[in-house]
Amino acid sequence: MIEYYTFKHRGDALDYQDEVFLRLVPSLTVAIFFGSNLATAPKSQALLFSEILNSEEGGRSIDYLSADFDECLDEESEYLILRVLNNGVECYRRGGVYAKIIKDGQIKVLPNGFFGMSKDDKIVVGTAKFFKYLTDEGVLADALVSDSCSDWMYMMIRRISDQTQLKCGNLSAVTLKLNG
Amino acid sequence: MYDFSILSDDTVFALRLALVLFTVGFISFVAIALYTLIKSYKFNSKHKDKLKLVCEVAYFHERGKRGNQEDSVYISPLEKLEESGLVAACSDGMGGLLNGEVVSKFVTDSLREHFPFKFDAQAENAKIIAGISDKVYEDFHLSAGATLVMVHIFDDLLNFYSLGDSNIVLIRNNRATLLNSKQNYAAVMIKKFAEGGIDTVDAYKDTRARGLTDFIGNHKCNVQMTSKPMKLIDNDIIIVCSDGVTDSMPMNRIVNHIHFDQSATGIARTIKYGVKSSKNPRQDNYSAIVIKMRRSIV
Repeated sequence: MIEYYTFKHRGDALDYQDEVFLRLVPSLTVAIFFGSNLATAPKSQALLFSEILNSEEGGRSIDYLSADFDECLDEESEYLILRVLNNGVECYRRGGVYAKIIKDGQIKVLPNGFFGMSKDDKIVVGTAKFFKYLTDEGVLADALVSDSCSDWMYMMIRRISDQTQLKCGNLSAVTLKLNG
Repeated sequence: MYDFSILSDDTVFALRLALVLFTVGFISFVAIALYTLIKSYKFNSKHKDKLKLVCEVAYFHERGKRGNQEDSVYISPLEKLEESGLVAACSDGMGGLLNGEVVSKFVTDSLREHFPFKFDAQAENAKIIAGISDKVYEDFHLSAGATLVMVHIFDDLLNFYSLGDSNIVLIRNNRATLLNSKQNYAAVMIKKFAEGGIDTVDAYKDTRARGLTDFIGNHKCNVQMTSKPMKLIDNDIIIVCSDGVTDSMPMNRIVNHIHFDQSATGIARTIKYGVKSSKNPRQDNYSAIVIKMRRSIV
């Protein structure tokens, strides 16, 4: 079973310009588009991003999807696609969107490609703006003490809030946990 | 090139002798150097497993401007470090309630009685803490309470437990991070505001923001604990302290004041004088346990 929690916040920006996308078929795919960092037409780019993922193409391999995004989206686009497979996750990121994994009491940035996972490993995916106000040790500590993905998310949100009172532009993130 | 025939036989003999002696000396030097290198390499390989992260511990426990001392600290016996790890805890009697010093002392005394704790039995340890809280509840019925922060270090692993709003600070790579999440109304309000998509300015303005949602003395309290241990590294500094420390010396100021080659005692001294020099006219009790991790041969 996979548990996840998504967080989207406008911050003090006029619009929410990022996009958090989840697709359950054929397997859980999490994608974040970092539109608020894009200078031109972030909304239309985010829409195009969602449409591709929503279409049949969205179910294809990460390699195919990333090639498709590279072809269709603005070359400045920043995004991350993460697909949960049977024994691990496959990840592709471009630009300032990161996935960090909590494994064996340590935190690491997920590289592009396949990464094996075991029971109770946790992953947080977020934009660079989300991670800007967090230290790795803080993210790790929150992951280790939280009972659920939503608890973990709001512990991290509290850390961001303590520094910015959430007046820091768009915030987008997803927390995931493999329950075995 | 040189005509040695013009030199006397004694001089040539002396020169030859000097050359032989120099050669013997040089060969001996190389042999000794090689021998030392090989020996030290063998020693390091043999004792590699003994190069462990070890803890240096120091603490301070001050009254500030208060009439009584409502903080209480506990450090487990260092001679038990190898077998049971290090347990360090700080309990802070809740302001505005009676018997703060009695409760905080009771908490640390109870921890002393329960030592040693099993390192991998986090839920069991949390249950012990909840039991201490229930005992306080039975005796005082919410008229007294205390916070508790406790760390349990075993080799290079850390578990922590927290109730209330005291602090467990980790300083790593020149950055300070509060490890535990404070159990107060601010957290509840921040969650509500964030869910509603608005900023959290009002959560900090609210007079109830610092009010605790959980503490020792609360019935069936929810102890915050690590479900799995956190890995520590060389030069990590862990500070277990009451809010009297961080209210007068915020975490970033602590980082700016300490040097990473300082010992735990040096760091504790720096923080203590940092708090003192802030000259807070309403300085609360301030106590801290400083733990410095260092890799060394046991």
